[in-house]
Amino acid sequence: MSAAVGGSRRRAIPLAPWLLILPSLVLALVIIGYPFFEILRLSVSNVSRFGLVRGSAGLSNFATIFGDPIFQNALLRTGTWTFGVVAGTLLASVPVALVLRQPFYGRGLARTIIMLPWAISLAMAAIVWLWSFNADYGMINATLRELGLMQGSVQWMARAETAFPMEIAVGMIVSIPFTVTILLGGLSSIPGDIYEAAAIDGARPWHCFWRLTLPMLGPFINIAVVLNVIHVFNSFPIIWVMTQGGPDNSTHILVTYLYELSFRLGRPGQAAAVSLAMLVIVFGFTALYMRLRNKDPVA
Amino acid sequence: MKLARFGLLACAAFAGVALGQQARAETVHMTVSYYSAATGPYFEKMAAEFHAANPGIDVKIDVVNWDGLLQKLRTDISGGTNPDISIIGTRWLLDFVKDDIAEPLDGYMNADFKDRFIGPFLKPAIIDGKAYGLPIAASARAMYYNKDMLTKAGFPNGPATWDDVATAAEKLKAMKEPGFGLMAKGTEVDVYWYYALWSYGGDVVSPDLKAAFASPAGVQALTMYKSFVDKGLTEDGPTNYTREDLQNLFKQGRVSMVITAPFLINQIAKEAPKLDYGIVPVPKGTTSSTYAVTDSVVMFKNSKVKPAAWKFLDFLFTKEPRVEFTKGEGFLPTTKAEATDPYFTNNERLKVFVDLLPTAHFAPTVTGWEDTAKAVTDAVQSVYLDKAQPDAALKQAAARADESLGK
Repeated sequence: MSAAVGGSRRRAIPLAPWLLILPSLVLALVIIGYPFFEILRLSVSNVSRFGLVRGSAGLSNFATIFGDPIFQNALLRTGTWTFGVVAGTLLASVPVALVLRQPFYGRGLARTIIMLPWAISLAMAAIVWLWSFNADYGMINATLRELGLMQGSVQWMARAETAFPMEIAVGMIVSIPFTVTILLGGLSSIPGDIYEAAAIDGARPWHCFWRLTLPMLGPFINIAVVLNVIHVFNSFPIIWVMTQGGPDNSTHILVTYLYELSFRLGRPGQAAAVSLAMLVIVFGFTALYMRLRNKDPVA
Repeated sequence: MKLARFGLLACAAFAGVALGQQARAETVHMTVSYYSAATGPYFEKMAAEFHAANPGIDVKIDVVNWDGLLQKLRTDISGGTNPDISIIGTRWLLDFVKDDIAEPLDGYMNADFKDRFIGPFLKPAIIDGKAYGLPIAASARAMYYNKDMLTKAGFPNGPATWDDVATAAEKLKAMKEPGFGLMAKGTEVDVYWYYALWSYGGDVVSPDLKAAFASPAGVQALTMYKSFVDKGLTEDGPTNYTREDLQNLFKQGRVSMVITAPFLINQIAKEAPKLDYGIVPVPKGTTSSTYAVTDSVVMFKNSKVKPAAWKFLDFLFTKEPRVEFTKGEGFLPTTKAEATDPYFTNNERLKVFVDLLPTAHFAPTVTGWEDTAKAVTDAVQSVYLDKAQPDAALKQAAARADESLGK
């Protein structure tokens, strides 16, 4: 009996690995747990402009937020933003990755140029694009005029109809390097001999892409989608720098609205409620990512 | 051997003296907002001069960008690492007082000290009869006009009424010259519309703390601005222009009229010295009125060096430091002594602003002012973008403002 207990103990508690990861586990718990707890606390409290808790607010912060048309619109727009940027990025990245895989003279340079935007901070990139879209001296209007495509100038950032699509375009441009990197990794894992076999069977390049490349790239595309969704969903600088969610709240996504609530209007409690709502959504995407990872052990 | 021991002893004694001195010297931490490139050097200089006269007190200056100031103070306050004194927007004061973090200053001020200030500037920082802030920076708003252009339009002395503005802008438009600068992006979009609201006799908040801007005067003011936009009398796409953008357009001669603060005078002198411009009061509707803003210095309740901090404030609010500050930043004098300096008395352009002060509206210290500003900004923008009618938009904004005004 005692032997049996000893045996099960030895099997049940492999102490050494746990002891070894204990420090980082504690660290991670503290680093993740403390802010999470703080946000949870703020979201159910009546919080002053300076972050001092004045008392409990129950669920009234959540009630106010969910009833606020600005929040509802921002939520929908966050969906458009995330879908627009991620779908656009992917559509642009697959051909770019395919081209960059082909051996051609100067490929190293081309790869560098594609990756370069990654090295620039998002806020800086957004400022540069804001200048480019300037109605009076921006290069976008100047180029369009030079090409004879229009006369006068377009006030790109003056209304959501022009500003928001352009913000999505900028979001795409800054997401492409990361996505191309993932896809290039995926492409290099596809063995070359299957294409030779397909060619012998008379497959055209289009068939090769549709029947071979794309399915084999599937897991990588999945990962690119999920990681981009999480990242773009939370992306603050582009919209804040270019339109600050305006005019008339027409370009707010959740994260810019959250910032405005907390730091412009002085309502940290409601901002905490918004960030919890965002956390739930992102958590959903993360769960999806974990499932994909387990199914296709590539990333 | 003996020598070595003596040396050690001397060292110890030295260290002891040094430590003792350090313990006795008090350090006052002050946070100031970045107004211009001159702000930091000015306060460093004042701190050095003050230290020379009061060797026992060190003043440490921290310059913070205006946009990040409230956020920084918030973080510092909740972490208990806030400075002893700080410049703040006077309109934030109410929240400071509500949270019991601002020290009332009446105990430090005698009648003579109070008398240093120009009356109206002290008022916005008085809450429930107690003074919590000293007005360190003040500005009012008036209309800048491009003399060449307005002369061509038949108003060599600038427009006096909103009708003049419309007439001038129409004539200028016919000559392919730019018109009235209208801002509808960034901070103060609300204020830019209040100018017109006040000039038609309206008000933003009623005495019983309800939103009062959705009045006939308000509708008239917004309808007028909207008609400027529709007729092309403003720059194209006002929702794309912040106050800074408009000021730049004015310097480049690409709007002919703009309402803004006195500090544009300094900017024009530096960046567009050849620009021929004049300054007139905010155009009249039925009356003339302007907006005045103060920034205040407050002392925090948890400061451990209050007397020393006050001593520094006392020094800052004497004549020479004040003149240097106000001149350097292009603000208006807040103390009587500095106002007598020839720089202010002989300056025709600044005088326009000073003369406007008796009828100036200050941002009231009420809770919900920021929410009101946000609601009005949204309403004004939606009207300019053809998404709403003035009347309906203002009513909706008033309902939103009432949710937080005075609460």
